Amino acid sequence: MPATTTAVDALYVYGIAPAGVRAPRHPGVDGAPVRLLTESGLCAAVSDAPARLRPRRRDLLAHQAVLDELAAQGPLLPMRFAVLSPDPDALLSQLRSDTAHLTRQLDGVRGCVELNVKGAVVPGCFADLVRRDEKLRELAHRTRRRPDYEANVRLGEALARGVRREARRAARDVLAHLTPLALRTVHGTTDDEHVLSTSFLLRSADEGRFRQVVAARARDCGDRLALSVTGPLPCYSFVDPRPAPAGR
Amino acid sequence: MITYDDEVVCAPRAGTLYDVLELILDRGMVIDVFVRVSLVGIEILKIDARIVVASVDTYLRFAEACNRLDLEHDVRSKTVPELFGGPVSRTVRKGAQRKAHSLTEKVRDLLTPEETEPEEPEEPPRTREREERGRSPQRSRSRTTARPRGDAEDDDRPRSRRRTEKEDEEE
Repeated sequence: MPATTTAVDALYVYGIAPAGVRAPRHPGVDGAPVRLLTESGLCAAVSDAPARLRPRRRDLLAHQAVLDELAAQGPLLPMRFAVLSPDPDALLSQLRSDTAHLTRQLDGVRGCVELNVKGAVVPGCFADLVRRDEKLRELAHRTRRRPDYEANVRLGEALARGVRREARRAARDVLAHLTPLALRTVHGTTDDEHVLSTSFLLRSADEGRFRQVVAARARDCGDRLALSVTGPLPCYSFVDPRPAPAGR
Repeated sequence: MITYDDEVVCAPRAGTLYDVLELILDRGMVIDVFVRVSLVGIEILKIDARIVVASVDTYLRFAEACNRLDLEHDVRSKTVPELFGGPVSRTVRKGAQRKAHSLTEKVRDLLTPEETEPEEPEEPPRTREREERGRSPQRSRSRTTARPRGDAEDDDRPRSRRRTEKEDEEE
């Protein structure tokens, strides 16, 4: 389905915070000014929805920047990119009918930040792999004796499996060290190259310690797994994607 | 992303927009009475974000590195950067860099679809690739027959993107 052309009074919704926060100064999606709509002790950061919404780099960055500014002031429920309310009334009535649930969720992330840690396979340590793995060593010797295309492909494939295995093992080790430091964790999708993608909910005060542990792990396993940390982020991964239906 | 530089590997990278893309797009709250606008191009962009390691080219590169090891006497653990020293592997490495570069261009292009000419960033790398295939018949065969994932996606991407652009224009 192509990008929807939005209604005139539709609002782009960035996130929900306790009432009383300052409106973000950073321009929102499509450069629109961001304002706050307040109801029942909660407020929603919104801007006029752009006529057409597309995942442009500057709009993704604007979404993120507005949320960063709000998150710096206290607890925040970040919306996913590209969430619109059909009009202001619908938004206010949602805040009214779902106050308890939204407030509970805000309490769940109060004083917390999200840090996202990713790990990618590093193809190193071939000598190590060959020395430790008898089958691989045999394959390497055989390939050297009769070096042809097929043999090289087989050897390379075995090495790729080996470095992946090593990276996955390192990723498990990293998780074992980091998980105890977090209140909650959410695992993202991984694949053959990105073997670690996990978000951690941390008390803000624990961020420094967390980063130290990541740095120590990165030094320790840098020849097998390349670690990267992103954050502190608004707690994207630690809000219920869909709140309870109104009235519950 | 793979890096062959030891120092870079050891230091955790600072986050980029790229690292938070899946969080911004897939996590965060969605409220039932609200509308989530469907985003053209996002699926393609996510596929693009993955550099495929499981390819015959990579296997051959790994095998070459392994074949340079001293299997009998080498007790020291050598990493790939140390192994990529000779003239042959230098060209291989250049190929990998070019690929990563063109991939970045594609991603940038998708993130800012209306700000760049759709055809421009893709043509040069693809042309070079064709030349390369012509020079090395064995490798070109391997690309079409044995490569499991990478090329199929490579070939699909620009097509599906052009279709996307067209849909937008017709609106």
